[in-house]
Amino acid sequence: MSASACAEPLDLSVLIDHWLGDLAPDEDERAEEHLLGCAACSKRMGDLVALTGGVRSLANLGVVRAVVTGAFLERLIDEGLRVREYRLAPGGSVECTVTPSDDLVAARLAADLRGVPHVDLVKCDAEGREKNRLKDIPLSASAQEVVFLERIDHIRALPACVQRVRLVAPDAGGDRLLAEYTFVHTRSSHD
Amino acid sequence: MYSRLAPRVRLYGLRHLRDEQSAADLTQQVLLMTIERLRGGKIREPERLASFVLGMSRMVVLDLKRGSRRRARALEQFADDLPRVGLADGPRLDTERLTACLERLGERERSVLVLTFHSERTAFEVAQELGLTAANVRVIRHRALARLRLCMTGEEPAS
Repeated sequence: MSASACAEPLDLSVLIDHWLGDLAPDEDERAEEHLLGCAACSKRMGDLVALTGGVRSLANLGVVRAVVTGAFLERLIDEGLRVREYRLAPGGSVECTVTPSDDLVAARLAADLRGVPHVDLVKCDAEGREKNRLKDIPLSASAQEVVFLERIDHIRALPACVQRVRLVAPDAGGDRLLAEYTFVHTRSSHD
Repeated sequence: MYSRLAPRVRLYGLRHLRDEQSAADLTQQVLLMTIERLRGGKIREPERLASFVLGMSRMVVLDLKRGSRRRARALEQFADDLPRVGLADGPRLDTERLTACLERLGERERSVLVLTFHSERTAFEVAQELGLTAANVRVIRHRALARLRLCMTGEEPAS
């Protein structure tokens, strides 16, 4: 068994790939043997696994804002999480809220984004003033929809208000508007 | 020996069994067998201990996956000598800081981390969902985790 220092520490990318089963079989076996014999790398691996578990826990608590996919939402629902979804067409408006029984809140914004290289999601107030911008969001493989998980703790803290969300294609001349959606938020009667 | 090896066997178990309780069972079982062998003088060369533990871990994982339990005799003999591996024996996380550190990531980085680690999906699976290449997902994933680790250790500010 080696001492706490490691002469040939495994690279972070090898540790991640090993954890997720992304290594080739022979490389995977070498990593496995190294980890069982090396306190330093095993400690780094343990920290990494704790971090990934933390990401999972926070996502389940609804406190991670992220652009995801429809398939991801389906997996959450299959696991028993209660996901409140709002589906909007371009130009659409919806009355929305969040109740104490909701675990997560998702907006599903339909839009034809095929061929658009970069898209920003811009959150604006009722008058259209920009408040927050998510730059270069990942687009789903179909590029027909943006699925956005908002932090549920932030929504719970909102007063009744109107928020506009825009999908824009940024370029040298400014933003080209692709679609806009309106959320008319009211607090839940259970709050 | 127990405190040195237990975290490593636990990690092995978590990776192969994806369940804290099963990983704790694996750790208990493998280390009991190791103690048995050491006391019986069957492992004479200390440098072979890691190989032995790895071999035992592989075997026990297969057993656990088949649902079999073969530790009763060893447990009866040595259980009192061993501290119980807890379900929360991994490192503690500052979840408030982690929330802030996640906010600091780029949108693609955060999305790839959430899609990857929520259900332990490979780069290929995440790439298919996001319309990226697997190589691209691995690059984004690596960069995101490196940033997250720096942020969590305070080398990069959380806000």
